Parts: sequence; C-alpha cells; structure tokens
Amino acid sequence: MAIIRDGMQPFDLYQPTSVEDALTLADRLGADAWMLAGGLDSLERFKDRLKRPKAVIDLGRVEELRGVRREGEDLVIGSMTTLTEVNRDPEIRARFGLLAEAAGEVASPQIRNQGTLGGNISQDTRCWYYRGGWQCYRAGGGTCYAGESTQGQNREHALFGVEGCAAVSPSDTAPALIALEARLVIKSAKGAREVAVEDYFVGPDTDITRMNVLGTGEVLTEIRLPATWAGVTFYFEKVRDRPVWDFPLVNIAAAMQLSGDRIDRARFVLGAVAARPWRLPQVEAAVAGRARNAAVDAAARLAADGAVPLPQNGYKVALVRNLVKRAILGKTTS
Amino acid sequence: MNASPLEPIRPGGMTRRQFIKSVIAAGAVTSAGLLFTGPAGAGHKTSPGAVERLITLTVNGQQRRVDVLPQETLAQTLRGKLGLTGLKVGCDRAECGACTVLVDNEPLYACSTLTHSVRGKNILTVEGLARADGGLHPLQQGVLDEQGFQCGYCAPGFLMATLGYLTANPNPTRQELAHGVSGNLCRCQDYDKILTALMRGAEYMRRG
Amino acid sequence: MPENDPLFTPKLTGRDYTTPDLRAKLTGTARFADDFRAEGMLVCKLLTSPLPHARVTRLDTGAALAMPGVRAILTADELPPPADSVSDSGAVIKASPWAERALTMEPHYQGEPVLAVAATDEAAAAAAIEAIDIAFEALPFVIAPLDSLRPDGANARIDGNVWLPPEKPGEQPRVGKLKWTAADFETAGPNRLPLGKAAAEWSYGDVTAALSEAALVLDETFVTPNVSHQTLETRSALAWWENGKLHIAVGTQSTIQTVPAIAKWLNMNADDIVLVSEYTGGGFGGKITASVPVIIPALLAKKAHAPVMLRVSREDEQGIGRARPSLIGRMQAGFSREGRLLGLDLSVVMDNGPYEQQLDAAISGRMGSLLYQPLAMRWRGTAVLTNTPTRGAQTAPGGLQVSALIGPLLAKAARRLNLDPLAVCRINAPEGRAPVGPPKADGTLNAATSAFLKQALDRGAEAFGWQARRARPALTEGPVRRGIGVATGCFVAGTTGFDGLFVITPEGRVRIHSGIGNLGTESFSDVQRVVADAMDLPWKNCEIVWGNTAKHLAWSCVSGGSQTIHAMSRAALAASLDARAKLREIAARTLGGKPEEYTVGGQRIFRSDAGQVGMSFAEAARRAIELGGVYDGHECPADVNKMTKTSVAALAGQGLLAVARDTFPHDGQTYSYVATFAEVEVDIETGMYRIVALHAEADAGTVVHPRAFAGQLGGRSMLGIGHASRQKWFYDHEHGTPVSRRFYQTRPTTVLCLPERFTWGSVGIPDPQTPIGARGIGEPPTGAACAAVLCALSDALGDDKFLRAPVMADAILAAVEPETWRPAATLSANV
Repeated sequence: MAIIRDGMQPFDLYQPTSVEDALTLADRLGADAWMLAGGLDSLERFKDRLKRPKAVIDLGRVEELRGVRREGEDLVIGSMTTLTEVNRDPEIRARFGLLAEAAGEVASPQIRNQGTLGGNISQDTRCWYYRGGWQCYRAGGGTCYAGESTQGQNREHALFGVEGCAAVSPSDTAPALIALEARLVIKSAKGAREVAVEDYFVGPDTDITRMNVLGTGEVLTEIRLPATWAGVTFYFEKVRDRPVWDFPLVNIAAAMQLSGDRIDRARFVLGAVAARPWRLPQVEAAVAGRARNAAVDAAARLAADGAVPLPQNGYKVALVRNLVKRAILGKTTS
Repeated sequence: MNASPLEPIRPGGMTRRQFIKSVIAAGAVTSAGLLFTGPAGAGHKTSPGAVERLITLTVNGQQRRVDVLPQETLAQTLRGKLGLTGLKVGCDRAECGACTVLVDNEPLYACSTLTHSVRGKNILTVEGLARADGGLHPLQQGVLDEQGFQCGYCAPGFLMATLGYLTANPNPTRQELAHGVSGNLCRCQDYDKILTALMRGAEYMRRG
Repeated sequence: MPENDPLFTPKLTGRDYTTPDLRAKLTGTARFADDFRAEGMLVCKLLTSPLPHARVTRLDTGAALAMPGVRAILTADELPPPADSVSDSGAVIKASPWAERALTMEPHYQGEPVLAVAATDEAAAAAAIEAIDIAFEALPFVIAPLDSLRPDGANARIDGNVWLPPEKPGEQPRVGKLKWTAADFETAGPNRLPLGKAAAEWSYGDVTAALSEAALVLDETFVTPNVSHQTLETRSALAWWENGKLHIAVGTQSTIQTVPAIAKWLNMNADDIVLVSEYTGGGFGGKITASVPVIIPALLAKKAHAPVMLRVSREDEQGIGRARPSLIGRMQAGFSREGRLLGLDLSVVMDNGPYEQQLDAAISGRMGSLLYQPLAMRWRGTAVLTNTPTRGAQTAPGGLQVSALIGPLLAKAARRLNLDPLAVCRINAPEGRAPVGPPKADGTLNAATSAFLKQALDRGAEAFGWQARRARPALTEGPVRRGIGVATGCFVAGTTGFDGLFVITPEGRVRIHSGIGNLGTESFSDVQRVVADAMDLPWKNCEIVWGNTAKHLAWSCVSGGSQTIHAMSRAALAASLDARAKLREIAARTLGGKPEEYTVGGQRIFRSDAGQVGMSFAEAARRAIELGGVYDGHECPADVNKMTKTSVAALAGQGLLAVARDTFPHDGQTYSYVATFAEVEVDIETGMYRIVALHAEADAGTVVHPRAFAGQLGGRSMLGIGHASRQKWFYDHEHGTPVSRRFYQTRPTTVLCLPERFTWGSVGIPDPQTPIGARGIGEPPTGAACAAVLCALSDALGDDKFLRAPVMADAILAAVEPETWRPAATLSANV
C-alpha cells in the first residue's frame, strides 16, 4: 500500500449537546470513537491518515463543558473552554495568572480561539518521527528513531525519563496546571473520578503508547484549581525558536509563596523535557525556607539532576538551569 | 440538521442528483470561478440508509443550504461548494492562516474546523467585506491606499484576522496589531508594509 | 545615453499608485490556479517515493483503477521524451539525460513523484493511491555532500556524484564521479572544508602572493542553510484540452516565458498552449517558468478526456517545491592593515540535489568578486549530487550564500585589525564600473554598469546611527548581550533585448499587452508607468492586459533574478518611442508637414509651431487602421520575438500598434546592491534573540514605484533574517528523509520576527546604462540582511562561535557555554 498523507478518511460524526449524551455515545461506540475537542491536534492526525477513527464525538456543542465558574474556593474551568477564554478570564488572571499567561503563549491567536484547555493538555506528542508516521515504539513499532538511532534527529527531544521513547510533552498549559496543583474531573458512563493533574500524564516507563490516563469511553470534563496557590508569585517562560506557532524547546511554570524575600514553598514544572511535564521536587525542597538569592545556585544545580542529554539536545540542560534561576529571581534586565 | 445529536452524520447521504437539486433549490452559487458552467464539488460517494447531511450555514449574512460530509472542513465547504474561493488553503494544517475566516466574529482556521461544528454561527469571509455596491470596506481601502501585500495569497486571511482582532481592540498599537495577526504567514514576508497597511485600515474603520 | 528623441519626463515613474491587481487580491476575487473550477473536473494526487533513492520493482495499479471515481493513472513511461530546446540566438540546447522529469521509476529523493491518479474527487484519489500495489528496491543514497566526496562515499545517482564541466568546448556539463582522498579530509580536520580537487575553478591575480603579503590572513569555513521556497500557494495547476490546444492555469513567475518551457517538457508546439496565470502565490525563484510537475495534469487531462486539477499538498510541496542549495564554503582571505581585501581564495561545495546543475556555486564566485573587489581571487566549486529535493534558484541564488560566507569574515577582520567594520565594508565595496570575475577568455574582467554601494553605506550608516550605536559601552551585566553588524549584498539586476507592445485604441486609450508574470513584485504594472510618461498620458487611460497568453502578449524576460524592472522598462520605452514615431508619421501624412514637426502631448499629436493643427490619439488610432501596414500591426518589425509577432498578428487592425524590441545601448553587466545594518539583543540564558533595529539602504538606480520597492526591500530582507535566524530543514541521515515537514518545524519567519525598528532608504542614482535608470531590487537585500544579522551576533557573542546558519537557540547557548555543550561538529549541508 502506498502512502499518502493528504485528506481525512470518512467517519461518522456525533455532536452531543450534553455531557450525559456524550458519555452514552462514548460508551456505546467504545474504542471506535475519537473524542474531539478543538480539533487542531486531531484533524492533523486524521488528514495525515495516521488516525482513522470510525466515529468522532465532537464535544463542541456541549455548553456545560465551557466556561469558568467558582465553586467555593475552587475555580472550575470547563475542559472545552478555549485558550483565548482562559487567557482573558478576569478571575483566572487575578488569581492564577500563571495559567492565563501559559494559555496566551500557545501557538497562534486562531489556534487559541479554537483550541481548548482540555485539548491542550491532552494533545499527543510532536516528535517528528512519531508524527511523521514512523513505526516507533510509541506507534507500536520496535525502536526510537530519535533516541536510539545513531543519527537520529533529537534536538527537540527529551532530557529526562527516556525509557525507550524520547518524545516530549508539547503543552504550555500542563506545566502551569501542575504548578497550581489542579485536579481533573474525568467522567464516563460508569461514573466520575478526580485525579491530580500531575497523575494525568503518563511517561514511557508506564505506557509508551499514551500520553495521559484518559481511557476509552472517558471524557475530561473539568479542570479544578484549588486556592492553594492563588495569587502567589508566578513565573512562566517559553523558550522557542519562532515567536508564533512553535512548541516549546523548554518551558517552565513556577509558583512561589514568598514572605518578603524568603520562599515559603514553591512548585517548579518544566515542559518539553520529558514525555510528561517534569516537576522538580528536589528543587522545590531545596529552596523552601530560603531567601531567593541564597536558594538560586543550589536550585539551578539540582534542576538538571538526572538529565541524560541526547547528542543534539544538550543545550536543554543549560536552558533548564537558566529557567529555574529566572523563575526564582525573576527576569533581570540590563 | 440532525434529528438527534445521538444520531451520526454519516459519510454517505444523498445521491449526486439530489445534491445538485438541493443546491439549485437553495440558490447556492456553486462556484464563482467557473471556466465552464456547471456544478462543482459533486461526485461524492453515496451509502444507502444514511442520514441527510443537508444543512444551513449563515455565510456573509446569507442562509446557504449545503450538503456537508461529516469529515468536511469549513475551508472545503466554502471553497468547494459555496464558491467562496477568497480564502486559501496554504497548508491545510492550521499553520499558515490563509484560510482564516470569522466565526461569530472570531478568527478561526477554516482548514481545521469541521463545517458541522459551525452550524448556526455567523461565518464571514473576505467576500463579505465589500459593500453590495462594490465599495470597499474601510479595512480594504486602507490596505489599497498603502499598496499592502505582494502576491496577495495571504491577504484574505490577514484581512479577516485583522477584522477579528479589531473587534476587541479597535485602536491598537502597531505591535499589538502584529500580535493580533501573528497567526498569519506571508511568504513574501512583506510584513512591514502589511502592518502599515492594516494600521491604515484600522484608522479608516475608526473614522467610520 | 544616446539621443533617444525627447525621451520621457518622469511624472508617474517614481510615484506611488495603486496597481491594477490589488483590489482583486483584497476582495477575494483574484483567481489563483487552485480557485478555478471546470465542469467534470477531476482531481489529481501524487504517489511519492518513501525512499531517498530507489527503483520501483513492482507496480500494480489494477485495484486502484477499479475503484469508484478513479479515472486515470499516469506513470513515468507515458511521459513524452524530453525535447531539445532552441535559444533566442538559435543555438540548440540538447535535452539533458540528467534532467528532472515529472514522474520517475527511479526516484532520487524522498517525496519525488512516481505516479499520479486522477479521480472525481480528492477522497477517491487519495484512496486510490493507497490501493496501489508498489514495491521499491532501495538504492545507495547520500544526504551530505561531503560524504559523497569521501573515497568510499555513496553516489546520489548510479552514474555519478558531481556535475563536471563539458568535456569539450560547446558541449554541456555532465554528471560524473569525483572523490577526494583520505588525506584531503585529514589535512582539513573536522571543521574545515577539505580542499580536494574541485570540479571547476578560475582565478585572477596572484592569490598566493596576496595572502603571503597580507597583514592578516583568515581561514574560515561556514555552512549556509538549505532553505525551501515554501511559496504560500503550492504549485497546483488545472489543465484541459480544447480543440487540440492545451489550456493550463498555474501560478508562475513568468507568463509568456512559461509557454516554451511547458512546450519543451511536453515535447509539443508552443503555439498549441494557452497559459492562464493572472495571479501567482509567491515564487521567489521556485516558479520562474512553473516547474516540470505542471505537465502531470496536462497529460492526465488528455488521457481522461476531462479537465484535471493537480492539487499539491503542503507536504508534497516540501518535496517538489524547490529549495536553495546550501554551500559549504572555505575562505582564505588576506587583508591589508587598512582592511583591504588583497586576496581571496574561495572554495565551495554545493548541495546540488539530484538533478540539473544549480548555478549558486558559480554565482557565489562572481558575486564575491564584485561585492568585495579582492585584488586577487581564486574560486573553486563543486556541485555535489545528493538525494534531497530538487533545488532551484531562490532570491539571489549564490548571492545570498556569498554574503553569508564573507560578510562575517570582513567583520572578523575588522575586529582583528582594530578597525570599524563599516570602514572595512566600505574600503572593499565596488564603485562605478567595478570589475567582476570570472575573467574572460582574454584574462580581463567584465565590468558592472555602475555601483554606488559606498554611497549606500554612508547614507545607511547615517540613517541607522551606526557610529552612535558603536560608541555605546558593551552590555556585560545581566542576560542580554548586544551586537551590531553591517554587511552588503549584490545581485544581477537587469537584462536587455525584450519586447514592448501596446495598442492605442480608436477610443484613444492605451491597452498594454504585458507578457510579464504577476508574482507580487508589481513589475508587470510598474514598468508600464514608463508608457504613460513617455506618451504623456494620465494613468487612468492605460489598461494593462496580463496573465493570459490568449490575450496576445509581448515577449518578456523571465521574472526571475530581478531583471524585469530594468529589462521591461526599456522595452516599454522602446514601444513608446515606436508609438510616437508612428503618431508623427500619421499626423504628417494626414495633416501635412514633416513628422519631426509634430509633438506628442496631452493625448494629442500636434504641430509644434501651430498647436491647433493636430489630432487626438483616438483620431490617430482610427487613421492607423485606415493606413494599415506597420501602423495597425499588419506589418511587424523583424527583430521582435516570434511570440510577439504572433500577438501582433492577432491584434492587427485594432488601433495604432506600438511594438518594438529594446535595442537601447547597454555596456556592462547590470547589478544592484544593498547595505544593511542590524542590531541584535541576545538573551544568553535562553538563546532567544531579537533584532532591535535594521536599516537597508539600496543602490538600485531610479525607484519606479516606491511602495513596491519598499516591499521588495523589506520582504527580501526578512528572507535573509529567516536564513540567519531560524528557517531550515532537518534530515535523518540514516534513512535519508527529512523529519521536518511542517511550517512549525521548518520555521519560516512570522510578523513577530520583524525587526522592532525597520527602516529603509535608496541612494536613487540612475544607472547610466539604461534610459529609465532603474535596476532590480528583489535579490540583494537577502544576503545583506542575513550577513548583517550574523555579523551582529558575532559582535554580541564573539568570533568563532558559529559554523553554520541559521543560528537558533541551541547554537546561541552552545556559543555561550561551550564547556557544557557543543553541537555535533559537522559540515553536513543538512542537519
């Protein structure tokens, strides 16, 4: 069979208007169904003919999945809330500016208008071998072309947790949500479960073929932000080669509770350095209780602990250290 | 419109004859770009027993009846079936912006939007900018006066992205507008002149 | 200039106006190839090679042909044999056995089309491609040119790995084998280009002596980027046959010149082709006369008896859409204490792709000799075949590369000699009728028509505030480093000898039949401002017909290499002078007196001494029809091109026909120049950098249309910025396949890559060797901007940090912290 990567295969399209209907459909269609959020990641895979679902459940008409509301101290964001809406929402900006900023750095304005928060954290990896249809581990094949081949192109690949697959998590909002200790509500016809966002993501050590825990028949419905980190000092930065569209070479989301210059507690999460967003607990421990200036050197040193650079991505080690340093001290200007 | 959201829109559907009839009945222009007369976009396979896919879209203020496949993108529908070839498909992967249209005043990439997902929304394409008497929209006039764009392939997308951006921020700085249209690629890379031209258009719009 | 009768007073020439194509572009009514529809139109898709070099060993299209909606499949054996072609001077150019064909059973790069399917719709065509039973035998391949030059290196083609010069004078270049010795590679070490035997070379002066006498000798190696054209419009095309004639709608840079190109590829008569190309979605050299895949829908349309649209996907465009060849250059350069380049020994290896020899390597030598005026120079070049996409000319082919190679070298020399880099640029800049290599047979050099680059450097430095910026203390605290750079670019900017054609209609209007392509530079229209000026007409009385060869167009230059504004402003003037002569003769014959007693003005021809004696253009046009002969086109000048003659014959009798070939004198080679100044701010903690300011100062003669000129200067500068800072492709060498297939991976510049402050200027001194004084501007900004940014980066971070462009975040971080990480040391053209 010859290969062509141009044009979607036919599928049945469902457009439920309630979560209940969506779950009924998801249950009925099982593994045949593909859950469609904003569609930017999905449609590309369909057009490349690498994913050929029999049925697509478009969540775009489920109004209850959109919008931001307060529930007690929690801020609840519907999974189908667009990135533009997340970026502009006054409440998110006021209390969780880290997330607003991260959402505003995604891709391009049109993509933010259409792409959703749920979709952004659930998107597949952008490893150019995997996306190109190469039969790698992640695609069910027997090698990692980026990491295991002597001449693999791995400039944009993983530093940490490369267990077979060197692909990275491309999301800008996922590190922010982890820094904010968000929780995710996942529903299916059988019921609902809530997971810490950190546990949503899956590395190749757990399952090399998936990026998150979302199972067949399940729908991510809500992202819940607890008050834990509301209004603390935040830092988000995305390093990329091109100011629009680019996925991060590395990004960082940090939340720090400060007393004067002293760091009471902090969360540091990196993106694009591992198959899942990469939290830095050792750095968090090292800085807790110390003044920013006193903490920074140890933090930068610890940040890249355990990094195993590939031949072409050693620069990410420097990036990780520098970004942690900046997250602690803020960006200094000359 | 589907009877129930639990029922699928299937790839199959009408026969070609039914399709042509429905399009003609709805008064849809099949293509403004005909070299020869006759309908375009026909020839879709049919599968028996499927649900009707004929839907109504609101495009440039008009109700348009059109037969839409489940996997059809808005770019395919607008260009292939409604003859609105102003928007271009430069990449078909949401990374050039040439297909940008406004959906409920928001710029979207038509190449990466399923047509069925915009049922009931207001779609505006570049063809909907000029007045019925042919007079240019002030945004177009501003660009014309500054000789914006070179090859022009990206122009319709830029205009729509700009219009969408100006809805929220009618008096932007040059840098703000640059961010507003940053989801549009120009391979002639005439960005400096384009920005000047779009700023002129924004000024004309403010003047009304 | 000779006395060309009262030539013309520039009234409109040099002023802004609205081009006649713009409104359609802004209203969505401009029709590009993919926008056409035809009844019963089939859609065609390509089956492309998954391997970088292979032979098709099994092909069964039976199942695909049997699928619903599939109408025809075209394979390589159905292509007509390549035809010889005949040059304007009548010389026969034999068809090359190494030329790229539209389809092939031995693909030479991943993504090369093997066959094409026509079906009733896109879905059916795609499904049919997947149903084709095909098997390939993998053949040896090579991605990096230097790998192929190694003693045991693979060859990209069965019959060789390099382009060699003709065996005998008068013959054509050929593909052959060339290997360098292990010692060549060992002597050079890992980061220097080995100096093995080159396929071609030339020299003037004593380079060895110049280097030995120099106060400073630098020996630098640098790799310029492979950058694909990525026009926003892919090369889609619609073809249909009508009464034995092929009609084809396709975006091409050159309207009339595309007809003979297609005729050659199809081995058919040019008279039987009608080309429609009113709008073209970008070319940049990649669509000078379209490209060979354009014949696929033509052949399928014939086979399927229906119009066929070849709709090229972005991914297929990555393969067939052309790319600039990378040059790996080594420069041994000797400077005087004052920074004068005494001797330059330039060696380049070019990543040629698998097909026709690209000219970038050779042009790099020529442009290097002009732009830096070395007192002695040697150029050596080897075009190495690789199993990567077919290359093509791209904005300043060879010119961009030589600026990227040598611009930073001059800046480094300045730092080493403790001189102002601007002074080193200036002292080496060409001036007046500057000499240009390579040497002619008699050993002497050619000369440029003119060069005012020193003036451009002076004016540009002033506008940019070079000295003030240079005087600031360096930033040493914090994460930001600042650097400034100045560099120059040049390129060919004009040819001669083409035709102008217009009709003065009985209504008194002027209808100009322009064979120039409309690729966005607006020169198809801009050059016609000369007609309005020369005829003393308001612009609104001029109508331009363009973009459809059924509309009887004039033979024009190809719209490539920025020759149009020069070549076709001359042709427009030639036709205008013809019109004026005819108007005078008609007036004299009608009203008495001698032709020279009449003057053209105010849309009339009248007695200079008695203004009331005269006639309007409309009357003259009607009289021309009565007189016939040369006046209304029933007779045609012998020296115009045969395609112009055909057009004149078709237009005969419609009014006063003005038609002439440009025979204005022209002594020397026409080039344009740009001096560019850039400031960068580099964040050394992230590797990201901003271009804070950029000024481009042009020396391109008279500016005909300032806004279009500014667009060219700005847009082509942005291309150079892209080359310097981010646009590239990535290759997997083990499998011979590019892994970057999307814009987000190849990273063409966006609006946010604009310099924060972009300014431009033009010296505006008319070129003395052309009556309008205008030269092209589309090419030289690219090399100047690319080199200026590279110079600024080195100014910010120090010398010897970068081995290649583009310089992206990883390279910046490696430059800042070389002890922690260095990128793989490789001179591969593709990484």
